[in-house]
Amino acid sequence: MVEDEVNLLVIVVDVNPIWWGQQAQREPQFTLSKCLDAVMVMGNSHMAMTRTNRLAVIASHCQDSHFLYPSKSWRTGDSGGDDASSSGDGKYELLAVANNLIAEEIRNVMSRSKGNSTDTLLAGSLAKALCCILSMETASSFVIYDVIKAAEDCARQYMNFMNVIFAAQKQNILIDACVLDSESGLLQQACDITGGLYLKIPQRVALAQYLLWVFLPDSEQRSQLVLPPPAHVDYRAACFCHRNLIEIGYVCSVCLSIFCNFSPICTTCETAFKIQLPQMVKPKKKKLKQTM
Amino acid sequence: MDEEPERAKRWEGGYERTWEVLKEDESGSLKATVEEILYQSKRKRVIESHGQVRLGMMRHLFVVIDCSRSMEDQDLKPNRLTSTLKLPVCDIMHIQCKVICFVSPSGNPKKHIAALKKAVDTVCVGEPSLYNSLNLAIQTLKHMPGHTSREILIILSSLTTCDPANIYEMTKVNIMYMLLTFLICSTDNLSCSLNVRVSIIGLSAEVRVCTVLTRETGGSYHVILDESHFKELLTLHVKPPPTSSSSECSLIRMGQYRLENCDFTLVGLSLGGYFCPQCHSNYTELPVECKVCGLTLVSAPHLARSFHHLFPLEAFIESPVEELQGNGFCQACQGELKDKSIFTCPSCRSVFCVECDLFIHDSLHCCPCCIHSQTAS
Repeated sequence: MVEDEVNLLVIVVDVNPIWWGQQAQREPQFTLSKCLDAVMVMGNSHMAMTRTNRLAVIASHCQDSHFLYPSKSWRTGDSGGDDASSSGDGKYELLAVANNLIAEEIRNVMSRSKGNSTDTLLAGSLAKALCCILSMETASSFVIYDVIKAAEDCARQYMNFMNVIFAAQKQNILIDACVLDSESGLLQQACDITGGLYLKIPQRVALAQYLLWVFLPDSEQRSQLVLPPPAHVDYRAACFCHRNLIEIGYVCSVCLSIFCNFSPICTTCETAFKIQLPQMVKPKKKKLKQTM
Repeated sequence: MDEEPERAKRWEGGYERTWEVLKEDESGSLKATVEEILYQSKRKRVIESHGQVRLGMMRHLFVVIDCSRSMEDQDLKPNRLTSTLKLPVCDIMHIQCKVICFVSPSGNPKKHIAALKKAVDTVCVGEPSLYNSLNLAIQTLKHMPGHTSREILIILSSLTTCDPANIYEMTKVNIMYMLLTFLICSTDNLSCSLNVRVSIIGLSAEVRVCTVLTRETGGSYHVILDESHFKELLTLHVKPPPTSSSSECSLIRMGQYRLENCDFTLVGLSLGGYFCPQCHSNYTELPVECKVCGLTLVSAPHLARSFHHLFPLEAFIESPVEELQGNGFCQACQGELKDKSIFTCPSCRSVFCVECDLFIHDSLHCCPCCIHSQTAS
């Protein structure tokens, strides 16, 4: 083990209150607190593996995203902050501090939450996470983002989401996705482009088990494990005129908009296109054979 | 040569009273001024944008890297060749264009990066030849369709060029003259009929042949100051250039591939691959032009990668940090604002620090706080 290798794990949890509220009624064994317990178990395991491992947890809300851990007061130093919260059961102090901070912050976030959209604002949380991780100035060898997603995708986020994914790819950051409810095309693309893992959990109650077995190993160890196969990603784009998914289409060379049929003018940028006309062939004069 | 601008003849004109730029502070140190200059150059790249100009999004870019004896010079650590082949050049590979760099033309960046990494070990001998490299590039570029922009980027480290066009044994000065007249004829060729834009990055000093070449074809010529300047110059080439009015616009027929897993493996082939939707031929990498039916195969992320050029992010408003009321935290990284200026996004009014602003404009291309307010509204 190299001594100064720093593995950073960032867990982004989707805490959309509407989805979780409905979930509590559908399946009372698996609520937001159980989900966060599983997240804390994973975070603790990650930090306990090596002394130099670091953790960050972000809660992604319908309007905003908050850092659950580390909180603002922690930024001054590694071990600054709460000495008073040493746990009574002999737990490693860093883990106890982390758990308490996460629990406290999530209570703050949920109590002051407002908003009634059913979509998740993942692009924003990932963008903030990228800026924050960059500013931490550690020579992190591996950074893995683990996204736990509950509610549905927001289609308006497509452009921003793709920008965030490409920025992450440039920084060599892996994005994993752990999906609780509906399949997410955006996250499938994110995992495919950055090289992470995508998994839709068959049984939500066993979330902790899936997190530990599938998502905890870092990228070097993953090549030696038998992990769920990569999902079949549907990369078909939607045409701009009908919003149908097409396999073969026409792309404007100026504004890159996609059409399903050829048209002489691009509707987005109003460029006139050069049309390849078939060449005019002069009819050859044929000598009429004289029939005798 | 007669229509050269007056200013450039007086090369001293660019160096008048340079000492006035640097100012010492009370303790006699120049550090503050140097930081200020670096900071301004960083900001310049962010602010400069072309506005409502049609950009050449599909580009065929030919990168020519000088591998002659002068690349072994140690003024860029560890030597010029290694320094060139490192990350800055690889950044260009991530943009959507066809890059040819002593491998066959391909749109896949991984092949180019692998070839570059292998090339670090090449031994640099001999002299470079501008004529030969331009010839080779033109041979390939002239077959490219008219709606793409054709560009050549030359990274030239030596001060001379050795070409088959001159057959006389003359001194260096005369060689340059012969080449100059030849090149002027060929640049007319280049710029008028073929619309090729040649840009050169010089690693040692300014060379007149290069200046003329780039001026005639509409490209840019820069000489690097140090490694970070080198990286900045390469990043300038990542942005798509404005197109000339003579390039055609057309609709290009493209297909999205279908990915399927094969049940069998053959020696030398891999499991699965990308199938052309029209003729079902199998390819292992994308983007590619199908050799059977001629359809260009791409996937949506390849197009999405270039969208940020079409919808560029506005530059943030800079203001001194004293004007900020309330708590001094950067909204993106949650860190304290310790620099002397802060940046405000014009649409959502959130405050960012210098590093976040640079990161947002260079890599992220979208404001993290605008994303939140977009969806909430």
